[in-house]
Amino acid sequence: MTSLYLLIPISFVFIVALLFLLYWSIHAGQFDDLTGPAESILLDDDLSNKN
Amino acid sequence: MQETLSCYHCRSDLENQSSLQICLDGVIYFFCCSGCLAIAKIIHDQGLEKYYERQIPAEVKPPLAESNDLIINSLRAYDDPILLRRFTQEISEGILETVLTLEKIRCAACVWLCENYLKKIKGVHDVQINYVTLRANIRYDSKLVSLAELLFAIQKIGYYAVPYEASENIQKSQYQRRILLFRLGVAILGMMQVMMYLWPIYSSSSDLELESIRFLHWTSWLLTLPVILYSAQPFFSSAWDSLKAYRLNRSIGMDVPIALALGISFIFGTINLLLGEGETYFDSITMFVAFLLGARYIELIARQSAQSGSEALVNQLPVICDRFLNYPTIKKIESIPVLRCSVGDVLHIAPGQIIPVDGILLESQTSINEALLTGEAKPVLKKIGDYLYAGTYNINQTIAVFVKEVGQNTRLAGIAKLLDIGLASKPPLVGLSEKWAARFIQLLLIAAIGSYVIWLWIDSQRALMVMVGVLIASCPCALSIAIPTAIASAQGALAKVGLLIMKGHTLETLSQIDVMMMDKTGTLTIGKPAVQEIKIYRNEFTVKKVLSIIAGMGQGQKHPIIQELIKYSSMKKVTPTPFEQVTENIQGSGLTNHGWMLGSAKFLGIEAPFDNSSKENHLYGSVYFGDVKGVIAKITLLDQPRPGVNDFLNFLRSKGIQLIIISGDNTTTVQSWADYFGIENFYGSCSPEEKLQILKQFQDMNKTVCAIGDGVNDAPLLAMANVSIAIGEGAPLAIAGSDAVLLSGSFITLLNTFKLAHKTRVIVQQNLIWAFTYNLIAVPVAMLGLINPWIAGAGMAISSLLVTLNSWRLRKVVD
Repeated sequence: MTSLYLLIPISFVFIVALLFLLYWSIHAGQFDDLTGPAESILLDDDLSNKN
Repeated sequence: MQETLSCYHCRSDLENQSSLQICLDGVIYFFCCSGCLAIAKIIHDQGLEKYYERQIPAEVKPPLAESNDLIINSLRAYDDPILLRRFTQEISEGILETVLTLEKIRCAACVWLCENYLKKIKGVHDVQINYVTLRANIRYDSKLVSLAELLFAIQKIGYYAVPYEASENIQKSQYQRRILLFRLGVAILGMMQVMMYLWPIYSSSSDLELESIRFLHWTSWLLTLPVILYSAQPFFSSAWDSLKAYRLNRSIGMDVPIALALGISFIFGTINLLLGEGETYFDSITMFVAFLLGARYIELIARQSAQSGSEALVNQLPVICDRFLNYPTIKKIESIPVLRCSVGDVLHIAPGQIIPVDGILLESQTSINEALLTGEAKPVLKKIGDYLYAGTYNINQTIAVFVKEVGQNTRLAGIAKLLDIGLASKPPLVGLSEKWAARFIQLLLIAAIGSYVIWLWIDSQRALMVMVGVLIASCPCALSIAIPTAIASAQGALAKVGLLIMKGHTLETLSQIDVMMMDKTGTLTIGKPAVQEIKIYRNEFTVKKVLSIIAGMGQGQKHPIIQELIKYSSMKKVTPTPFEQVTENIQGSGLTNHGWMLGSAKFLGIEAPFDNSSKENHLYGSVYFGDVKGVIAKITLLDQPRPGVNDFLNFLRSKGIQLIIISGDNTTTVQSWADYFGIENFYGSCSPEEKLQILKQFQDMNKTVCAIGDGVNDAPLLAMANVSIAIGEGAPLAIAGSDAVLLSGSFITLLNTFKLAHKTRVIVQQNLIWAFTYNLIAVPVAMLGLINPWIAGAGMAISSLLVTLNSWRLRKVVD
């Protein structure tokens, strides 16, 4: 069971990284509008460059 | 392509080969009107024609394109420093940020068009449009482009934008939302990881060495720490506040048992961990916090989407108005912010505009729609010298108004103050949950202390452990989640069918009401005329022909009856007859063009009703159509009830709830509608103050009253009623004071709400009964010192799960 003493600290590193990511994404407004980005990916900006 | 032609921009059908056509990028397109053509040209010029592949067509013509300079002049007032300061924020030297609310958006393509069109304007640095709130965040260089130009740009492509007041509130509520979401995120992460670490102990503890088990427990403790200290912090602080206020109101908030449960389980979990024996509870704690925060987050979003009273008042009135430079000598007008208006000014108000001040009519008799203020559905004819109120709506003539009262002194602001009074005097609601929780906690504490004292006599060594056992075994988890989980799932279900609940007690109170007070205009009825019958008196005319002429005459007229007739004729696929001259509108009593006449019997010069069909008192009115030779047709218009009203009323009757109509409209109209719905109790011609008095009479008789309304005049009533529902299309002020908003506009939703409220009550009772039964068994056993912590923990978890699953049954609305 010694692998536990290695794997669990690693999982802690992941959790801290995840928390940091979550904090950043919430405060960057990533969760403010959940439908817009889903729509806008379909309406991409490849505006016709008048051929 | 020989199929029916349709307009390239709005996709409305074109009767014949339209003369309006234009060649864009080598293809010829047809248009119904110059407005559509102008917009399409702009869109193509900017290379945004992809819009047409994606849009959901409006099938409504854009408003007749006014002269470009005219629009920009009326918008110029937005560049006034007073308004600029209100609507924009300076980010850095010369760079301003503003938030605009977009209107007439139909689809994602519309948002895309606005975003990209704005981005192409010189001086615009960044545009972000939120698809949910339809608010555009624009950052621009004030040296290159002005706010008025931005607003104008959006109008040019057929949409409409109003600046949104970027108050501190918005940022505060955004911050609140984000913080709570992060707390929730931390709790969910903690929950998942703690489960993961404890899984080996649950599944195969016999294979694990003691060392490893302790290690896993310690790691889960470490992860529970942020959940307790950070995520659960709102529960602890609100529980503390509630305890501090206990001496004042003698009630304990729902957060007290939650905080107690969390605190006790964490502390004893930690003690057990240090002792190296017994349950640790960390998985239950993190899961509990995560679920509770999830429910709180949903509630927060619902609450924030409603506006506060003062914000609503601002939205009730226009921001800019037209003032005569020097009435009556110089009739030139200038656009100014309403804030700059003062007593003594003379304002110019066009048909279709909202009057921003209280004042006296100086010029042109007109019809005014006062429905939001008084509840009267029919427009009121105002003569010169009559008093006009802020918030009412000018229908047919351009008028001049002498300003008597502005801002906080208007009748409208007075009603808003009344709303605050109503809110303050709302009967205090001690919810079922609070009452039960308070009693439970008192009993629990007595039991715990009692058993400690008794065990001191029996075996002082075990006394402390028994007390802890009692506290944990009776962990109020099941009890404290019994009510919130049921209410959260019911609220979620209702939001899906169009009823937004803003205050937590709503469902609980709805299931207990004795009296239902309903407004008439705009609530029970839609408040708009609908064509009931067209009677033709002369053989040479058909209904189609009459409608065609009327629709042609009515183009551009704002009177609700004319607009209904135009809508009705386009629904019947009748093409309007084109007229060369502009229709003349004679003093708000009728229209005439090319010898045709449309208006009241008096206007046509005939004797009163042509044939008086008996009872029709909930008539919106009838209009007559004729020419020089006499009457051709009589059109009867009725106000219509909202869909589902009768089913709803029947349901309330079956529950023995007293029904009351309370309206500002005149008593005869109210009476005829009361007869129509079969309601015996009604009050007509009520002012907002009188409505409050009537409500108070019922409340003094100890009745629980629910109020439903839509107008500004209902706002105080809605605020003071025990529970209230505002109609979503109604006045912002009415919504501000109410507990829930009916977004779907259908009474079928309300019927389902009541059914669900009753079902919620049943399920809450089942939950409570279960939680009490569990505690009734567990606590005495624990008091006897017989309980095994492991069994106590498992029992607690199963009990909570049972309650949650039971509540889940509410997540669908019964049909």
